[in-house]
Amino acid sequence: MRTKKLVSIIVLVLLLLFAYLTYTTALKNFTLSDKNSSYLGGIKFHRAASGLEEGFQIAQQENKPVMMYFWAIWCQYCAGFQTNTLGNTQVKKILEEDYVLVAMDLDIDREVAQQYAVSYPPYLIFMDPKGNILQRVPGSVDANYLLPIVTKIRDDVRR
Amino acid sequence: MIPLGDILLYAGLAVSVIALVGLISREIKNIELLNKLITPAIIAGAGLLTFSYILLTYYFVYSNFAYDYVWQYSSADLPLIYKISGTWAGQQGTYLLWVWVVYLSAAWLALTTKHVTALARRTQIITLLTGMYLIIITLVQSPFKLIIERPEVVDMIAKGTLPPDFVPEVGNGLNALLVNFWMTVHPPLMFIGYATMTIPFAAAIVYLFTKEDGWEELGRQWARFTWLFLGMGIAVGGVWAYLVLGWGGFWAWDPVETASFIPWLTLTGFMHAASLHRKNKATFSIAAPILAVVSFILVLYAAIVVRAGIFNSVHAFGDSSTGTLLLVFIGVITLVSIILGMRRYFEEPDKQEEDRGFWNKTNIFYVTLLLFVVLAFISFWGISFPAFIQITQGLKVGVASDTKNFFNIWSYPFTIILLLALGFCLNYNEKEKEEQKKTLFIVIGLSIITMFLRTENFYVLDHASPFWAREPALYKMIGNISVISIFPSMIYATWSTIQSLRTYLRIESIKPKIKGTGIAIVHFGVVFILFGAIISSNFTHTIESANIPLDSKGQLVDIGNGYGIKIIDFSTHSLTETKNTPSGAVSISEIYGNPEKYASNNVKISGKVTNVANVQSPPPVTYTTYLKINDGTYTDGLWAATQANSPLEYQAGLELTVEGFLIPNFKSNSTGSPCTAVTPCNLIVFSSPEQITEGTTAPGSYNVQSVRLEVYQDNKKIGSGVAEYLQSKSGSGTFPLVDSSITGTDIYVIFQGLGGGIVPLTLKIIPAVNFAWIGIVLFAIGIILIMAVRTKSKGG
Repeated sequence: MRTKKLVSIIVLVLLLLFAYLTYTTALKNFTLSDKNSSYLGGIKFHRAASGLEEGFQIAQQENKPVMMYFWAIWCQYCAGFQTNTLGNTQVKKILEEDYVLVAMDLDIDREVAQQYAVSYPPYLIFMDPKGNILQRVPGSVDANYLLPIVTKIRDDVRR
Repeated sequence: MIPLGDILLYAGLAVSVIALVGLISREIKNIELLNKLITPAIIAGAGLLTFSYILLTYYFVYSNFAYDYVWQYSSADLPLIYKISGTWAGQQGTYLLWVWVVYLSAAWLALTTKHVTALARRTQIITLLTGMYLIIITLVQSPFKLIIERPEVVDMIAKGTLPPDFVPEVGNGLNALLVNFWMTVHPPLMFIGYATMTIPFAAAIVYLFTKEDGWEELGRQWARFTWLFLGMGIAVGGVWAYLVLGWGGFWAWDPVETASFIPWLTLTGFMHAASLHRKNKATFSIAAPILAVVSFILVLYAAIVVRAGIFNSVHAFGDSSTGTLLLVFIGVITLVSIILGMRRYFEEPDKQEEDRGFWNKTNIFYVTLLLFVVLAFISFWGISFPAFIQITQGLKVGVASDTKNFFNIWSYPFTIILLLALGFCLNYNEKEKEEQKKTLFIVIGLSIITMFLRTENFYVLDHASPFWAREPALYKMIGNISVISIFPSMIYATWSTIQSLRTYLRIESIKPKIKGTGIAIVHFGVVFILFGAIISSNFTHTIESANIPLDSKGQLVDIGNGYGIKIIDFSTHSLTETKNTPSGAVSISEIYGNPEKYASNNVKISGKVTNVANVQSPPPVTYTTYLKINDGTYTDGLWAATQANSPLEYQAGLELTVEGFLIPNFKSNSTGSPCTAVTPCNLIVFSSPEQITEGTTAPGSYNVQSVRLEVYQDNKKIGSGVAEYLQSKSGSGTFPLVDSSITGTDIYVIFQGLGGGIVPLTLKIIPAVNFAWIGIVLFAIGIILIMAVRTKSKGG
């Protein structure tokens, strides 16, 4: 009986220690601060449904295509997609110069996701300034795949 | 007016009240007035719920879109099986399924025990209370809510844009990811598992309260049943993730799959505790009932995680209104069980049994129970504290730079200890104890030494992953452990299981023989699953973005690292029953897939206009109108062009049907044309204005693109099959090619939908994953063997 009690107490203490340790570690190292878009590969996006409206206004004024990016904080593929694909120097340059970028958090902007029939991240939707869908790119594609798409859509819309 | 389905639920509630009053008045005042009514009332309740579930199924089968839930999760053109599975596609339906099974188990309890014993009556009271609470939750979010009660519909009726008896003609449709065989069985397995946990829980509460004997026997088969269903439900979810989501693995520590795994772990702990408790009532007299209660609480918690939507998960499609009700339920039960558990703990006389030292079976079993609790806690904590931080501080945090790293590093050491305990316990023999201890210490030593072995990349955490560098020092330390360290304990566990199987097989009498064999098989399952999981997740070879041009059909295309892919065929079809092309319209993906078949021929396409360009052309023609038509079967639409004397006024968003001549590789010299010398249009439909009609003959709402392909390694064929991509208005899904070989290695190819004449593929070579599937099958076989043997509990 005594042994059991002792073991139980040790385990309980260790579990509490573990809980405290992981909690503080997460707060210190893994806070996914959203405001500066650091989680979105350092690319500036308009955010949420209001950002989408704003985005279309800018797109119409400047005649630029809109790229809507659906992501989520728990999405393991998104992180790589952001650094390697969206963050690819060529892709990033075109996106930042010639596109209006909008990001949707799948956990928060659920209505938008439902409206555009997006059920998982990462997911890109390219639209003209009027909001017509030009192309859907589901999944974590690589830069070689995305580059011709962003180039073509830019040229299509400019024309 | 209250819908019929809700009336049935209210009636179920009413008869439960009768039964409950009858039971309680008999318990407290020994009034036997309502005695005769108790069993019939409970059976009536079960009948009413059965009827309501059949009613819901009926609405689905006959696509009765007057009901919001039916409209939301079904459409008339779905095959029958998906209409039926639509009943459990959403939150409302799964609650109904859950409460229905709870009532079926209440009816079983009534019929088998006839409420003769106090234990049976009291267990029934708790079961009924649970059932009634769940009926209320079901009523709050009723699957029988009418579509005209939807806020936006109410608005439109008030404005007069919709008639007051509005019934939509078409359903919203089932999410494409759920249109899959595994998804038709996954939710019922899970929720039946949740429901069958009720009786073991109720009996355990009664035992904690009044020390009623026989509680373990009453709940035993139900606990095993739950273990089987919950386990299989989790496994099927894994199969689904593997075959549909294209995760490339079957386990990703997603909050929802993890949430269901937690009660399964504590339930496993309970079954270990119960196996000793039934032999000696004093053993684990508190641990066993507490584990049963905790498992039930965690089942409720899992239901919140699945449906409440506060957790960041791929499943998050819930609504939080009933989450609060479940949370209250959890709060009450937790409080009650803590009070009862404490009372029992202090009441229990401190037994002055002889100190047999640490090394005896009870103690090692106790360590095993604690290990299950520890593993459950790691998972529980890992999915809970980020949600807690988000709610309390409004901050989003991750548990590690890569979510799965957190669970893997913390679970890994305890998995080894669990295997060591398995190896020691399963073959435990009091007489050879000293010998066995020696073996255990050797294995422990080997496990520790092998932790430090260096390999290319076979560690708890993948050192090649971009996440590795971002992990904190402590996580790196554990992540640096070599996974070779799993093998000593794994071999030890296997050897011990073989030994125990041999012992059991030597037993003459048939019942213990079958049961022992079952126990051994389940433990073989553990080894198989761990082996499959660890090897497959560490040695998967991935070649991403193998983009094969469709033109190269029939040729072997090199995709690097010695691998090659040959596309044999591309085709499209509609999943649903409605004819894809009622008036001869061809789906655009079909045209892109087989241009040689349609080029220089007349085709008819139909879809939405996504782009319009009017171009002034040189005389004699004055205007060319380009219309991009998209029918949703192909990421990019198809251009159609027509010429007229004045620009044609077509707006984007209009639905059109265009008939004309399909021309490949078209270039125009006019400025403003989408098809130029630099960017020629691969395919374009040339039509005359008369051949353009408004309205669409839409292709079916579930379109499947399939690629038949062969995979080569060093010019030798290593696999073949079909990879599919399903697109529907409610989302898209991938159905990868999975070709298993006899060595246990899977060739796995994900196809993400044709785009721009390119077939985007991801190739994965996944070794040993089949061991995990075998392990799951062993789990099922083993527990069924154990359940088949009904042994009498001593003194029960």
